[in-house]
Amino acid sequence: MVELKIGQQIEMEFGGKAKVLKIIGSGGQGIVYLVEFNRMKWALKWYDIDKIKHPKEFRRNIQNNIADGAPSNRFLWPKYLTKELSDGSFGYLMELKPDNFDSFVDILNTYKLVVDPFTGYAEKKPVRFSSLYAMVTAVINIVNAFRQLHRDGKSYQDLNDGGFFINVDTGAVLVCDCDNIAPEGSNFGIGGKPGYMAPEIVRGIAKPDVQTDKYSLAVVLFRLLFRGDPMEGERVVKDVCLTETSELKHYGQNALFVYDPYDASNRPVMGIHDNVIKFWRLYPDYIKDAFIRSFTVGLEDPNKRIIENEWQQLFIRLRAEIIKCDCGRTNFTTMFGKNDESTYKCPKCGSIFPTISFSNHDFRFPLYAGRKFFDCEIDMDSNEFLNVAGEIVANKNNPSILGIRNCSEKNWKVKMPDGKYYNVPSGKGFQIWDGLEIDFGNVTAKID
Amino acid sequence: MNENAKDINSDADDPLNASGVSKKSLVIFFVIDTSASMKGKKIGELNTVMEELIPEIRKVGGADTDIKLAVLTFSTETKWMYSFPVSVESFEWIRLNASGVTSMGKAFEELSEKMSRNSFLNSPSLSFAPVIFLMTDGYPSDDYKKGLKMLQSNSWYKFGMKTALGIGNDADDDMLKEFTGSADTVVHAYTGGQLAKMIRIVAVTASQIGSKSMTLAEENKELTENDVFASKQKLLGQQIQELVSKDDDDFSFDTGW
Repeated sequence: MVELKIGQQIEMEFGGKAKVLKIIGSGGQGIVYLVEFNRMKWALKWYDIDKIKHPKEFRRNIQNNIADGAPSNRFLWPKYLTKELSDGSFGYLMELKPDNFDSFVDILNTYKLVVDPFTGYAEKKPVRFSSLYAMVTAVINIVNAFRQLHRDGKSYQDLNDGGFFINVDTGAVLVCDCDNIAPEGSNFGIGGKPGYMAPEIVRGIAKPDVQTDKYSLAVVLFRLLFRGDPMEGERVVKDVCLTETSELKHYGQNALFVYDPYDASNRPVMGIHDNVIKFWRLYPDYIKDAFIRSFTVGLEDPNKRIIENEWQQLFIRLRAEIIKCDCGRTNFTTMFGKNDESTYKCPKCGSIFPTISFSNHDFRFPLYAGRKFFDCEIDMDSNEFLNVAGEIVANKNNPSILGIRNCSEKNWKVKMPDGKYYNVPSGKGFQIWDGLEIDFGNVTAKID
Repeated sequence: MNENAKDINSDADDPLNASGVSKKSLVIFFVIDTSASMKGKKIGELNTVMEELIPEIRKVGGADTDIKLAVLTFSTETKWMYSFPVSVESFEWIRLNASGVTSMGKAFEELSEKMSRNSFLNSPSLSFAPVIFLMTDGYPSDDYKKGLKMLQSNSWYKFGMKTALGIGNDADDDMLKEFTGSADTVVHAYTGGQLAKMIRIVAVTASQIGSKSMTLAEENKELTENDVFASKQKLLGQQIQELVSKDDDDFSFDTGW
């Protein structure tokens, strides 16, 4: 391929020149450079034009995507095209990834290699989510990004672990490599990455589209939570060598989910798939069932795959069912255990966690200091899963007494111990008590 | 604290306490001629490009593949650079010296012996078929056919991606074709610049294909085992030829060695 030289000036489609500063990455279709354009720093994706099957259509598609704009600010979307060089090669500019985001690949590896520019020595730096909350938030963000993309009538086509940057402290997500995104029904030659491709693509009977994106999305989520390959178990490992034939079999024709409830012949293998074995039992059934559905009936029938909105609802629930105990234990309610019908108990220190029920949810939310409620949880019409609507706080004078602070814009009506309802405006709080009732507007909640 | 506190205190049920995802391993075998004729510029260039190549290959594996390198040198005797395949992340190239004759047959036998589940390919998890990259500047001084025959009966060799680089005028491309089983994966270098370029093209392309690629159907037609058999070797041949032909312009014949 034609590599660009440091200092080279690349002409942009609508005038001006981008100056190549250095290489910042490489992928299957080309190389990413740091460039300067209009006195700003950008990332330039430069294509190895030989690896693009239909360069003219490919370029036109990127042009269209630039014109349409990103579905949301969660995408590192193409911004400007370059002119074509004499051999037809070209690239596009996109914004740079902020420093506080790590690649999904590094998260899966649990470390990143940082190379000392002077000695060339590569040092391993750990990369992991700083909280369970951040990890589940990342999942919700990923799912939501693809929901937005698909609602725009487009498919990503090449969904894999190289496609995301994640902030491990907040769970914020940036979707990158947006250059294969195409309107539904179009494909410009990309097939996908082994292990992430839907079985019908592996078998050669389908091209990437929204339905195959859904399969790949399930693989991405499985890998993020369970840290393994959903199709790689005993049966696959027995092959020892993964030849082209065994790949076709295990990821295409005869793909079998490691936790298929009706066929146990491909279970994860101790010593190889320890992550999957360990994490699978931690998750509540509604999460496991969704993966089972994705990788059993959803394997064969693309229409039975989980839609993004369903994933989003399930993971918003999972986020709500995290308990963070003062003793240091943070886990899902399933791993805390019930004390009675309406309280959970920490198996480590014995602390009791009361719960609150909501009129729009069929599960109870555990209560503990620092816990947040979000707009979408207290307002039927809201889709906002990151806007904090309320927070549980400890009383300044007596930290053992918990209260709820109204962080939303709305007035809440709250039943106090005297049996009367009071208005609690934005910014104000009230004590949690046995018998508490809150009227948020179209949703009510109570402790009973 | 209750009695189970020890269990619960441990990270056993912490959803964040993950180890790295289990990876498939890919071993790249470099089989390198270090006979006396390689002395000087050739071995110097080779050492330098290999040192520079390692950081590039590091990026290829991602979160799916653990790429390991095994380097076998042959002159009068054969010698492994390290006694086991070493992950590319921690691999340090030891500069090679050249002397002696070209015992290629012996190298094939040694390679065949180590390319086994009980030896170099003993990863407990899944492996991709290995990449085997032969580099030589001359004709074998021993009976290479015997060694090659042994190699050809090795399953890892059969499914592996074989590629070879002939260096200078004396390397015999026909013999190299026998080794790789296909003409497309044999390349030739006549200058130091070409040597560096060829090693890079072949090693990077082979590791990318070895660790990632999957056959894609041209038409919407169900793929059969026959369609995919040895498809990586074919794809490697195609890509190498495309990349090599691009550089035809500066393919000036140089006998500077």
